[in-house]
Amino acid sequence: MRLERLFVFPILFCLGCKPPTPAEQMNSMLSWLATARMTGDGWLRHTTPDTYSRQTLELSSERIGQIASDLLKSPPSEVDTATLDTLFTRSRIRVKAMARLIAAKNAPDFGRQLDSLDADEKLVKQLADSIEHRQ
Amino acid sequence: MKKILQVTLGIVTSVGGFLEIGSVTTAAQAGAAFGYELLWAILLGTLCLIFLVEMSGRLSAVSKHTIVAAMRERFGFPFFFIVLVGMTLVAFLVLIAELGGIGFSLQLLTGIGFPWWAIPVSLLVWLLMWKGTFGLIENGASLLGLVTISFVVAAIKLHPDWSGVAAGLAPTMPQSDKAHYGFIAVSILGASISPYLMYFYSSGAIEDKWDESYVGVNRFIAGFGMTFGGFLSMAVLIVAALALQPRGIQVDTFDQSALSMTTALPRWGFYLFAISMLFACFGAALEISLAIAYFFAQGFGWNWSEDLEPSKDARFAFVYTIIILIAAVPLVFGIDPLKVTIMSMALTAATLPLAIIPFLFLMNDPVYMGKHRNGWIGNSVVAIIIVISFVLAVISIPLQIIGG
Repeated sequence: MRLERLFVFPILFCLGCKPPTPAEQMNSMLSWLATARMTGDGWLRHTTPDTYSRQTLELSSERIGQIASDLLKSPPSEVDTATLDTLFTRSRIRVKAMARLIAAKNAPDFGRQLDSLDADEKLVKQLADSIEHRQ
Repeated sequence: MKKILQVTLGIVTSVGGFLEIGSVTTAAQAGAAFGYELLWAILLGTLCLIFLVEMSGRLSAVSKHTIVAAMRERFGFPFFFIVLVGMTLVAFLVLIAELGGIGFSLQLLTGIGFPWWAIPVSLLVWLLMWKGTFGLIENGASLLGLVTISFVVAAIKLHPDWSGVAAGLAPTMPQSDKAHYGFIAVSILGASISPYLMYFYSSGAIEDKWDESYVGVNRFIAGFGMTFGGFLSMAVLIVAALALQPRGIQVDTFDQSALSMTTALPRWGFYLFAISMLFACFGAALEISLAIAYFFAQGFGWNWSEDLEPSKDARFAFVYTIIILIAAVPLVFGIDPLKVTIMSMALTAATLPLAIIPFLFLMNDPVYMGKHRNGWIGNSVVAIIIVISFVLAVISIPLQIIGG
């Protein structure tokens, strides 16, 4: 093999690169939902400090919004777009609310939001699985 | 007795100074995304590092030359200049990442955003460089870094499946996400085989006035110190594999990696993670700043020693002063330290051949090494590392684009 081919292959490889697939975006979404849930669990169990927990929940809410926006620009054909939009919006608002509840030190309401987030995460997981299986 | 103490201190400081932002981040990403599957990359990186660090120390102890001084003398200025440009660029990015890591750790502990810490942290690093001695930087920072052993405690407390851990030490190819897997493997190797570490170690041998009688001491320190250090990186990966992967958490930000220790150590895990990162990054920032200043001073033939007053080696002190202050600037503007870390690890891999190839010549040169030249085992290992470094250099950037 001639030496220059060593460099040509990677360049061609790069040219073939593509944006993340819907399945990958769904995995990112799940990762941030799980981050929010683990942070929430940690705050309730007093294993993570208030400021960190609040900041991480705010960041999670922001990332959930970004991923949802990207995903819904070219939504996967396997699932209903309105269902996805509703689910993502609800999760984002819920995580944002959890961040506010930390500031208010309202653990009972926080616990309820966390349970609901758990349910949302399971729904997103089901949708992610169905997208992955059909691709 | 003195040598035994030096060996012990050397091993302890190697362990305490092993982890830095690159090794923690890449190991945590690997564990969170692929479980134990990428342990082999840490093993391979550690084995390469053991040999390269041993050779760095042996070269300095026997020839009384640092790697940079010998390289400049043996290969001439043009080659030295190419390596200088490549290494300075990569080491500078790593320095930004380490300063960012300190800022991030302080953000975890105080809630004050990391950009606010960029200037105070840089000033503190600079002040320690200006006022401190080599012993203080080498031993002090590394001894504080021993807190990173908490990763091993966390890993053991999570009761890993040891047969799975053993299986992870053999390379495998995942069913999916191959580009991401390849990218993390390359980043782990880039984080493990850090050229700055070799330049720092080699210069340290001269600072500590090693001679031929230290060849054995050097072998023990490189062998045991780096092996135990490798265990720390593996512990970070195992903790992430057991705490983050089952929940589906990928490590895209430092905030996510901070959660990894809270499963094993609910009460102290969060704080131990933050403090471990703080000391590990602080030690690494000092070492990298010194390594860059050593590189310039040794290559251009200036006075240099961390033990000298700055007025006695003004150009050496000027280099670290400038480099630390410039590194703070992107952080003030909020550049993401994690992105810089990942980019710098891939670039380290891309520039590895420049750092490794001179070893093959220097370690076989009787003028420098006398009877302590490399044997066939040493040369075979360097040849293998050169092949690995070329493969990494070719694939690292494409993998960064596709899988990073």
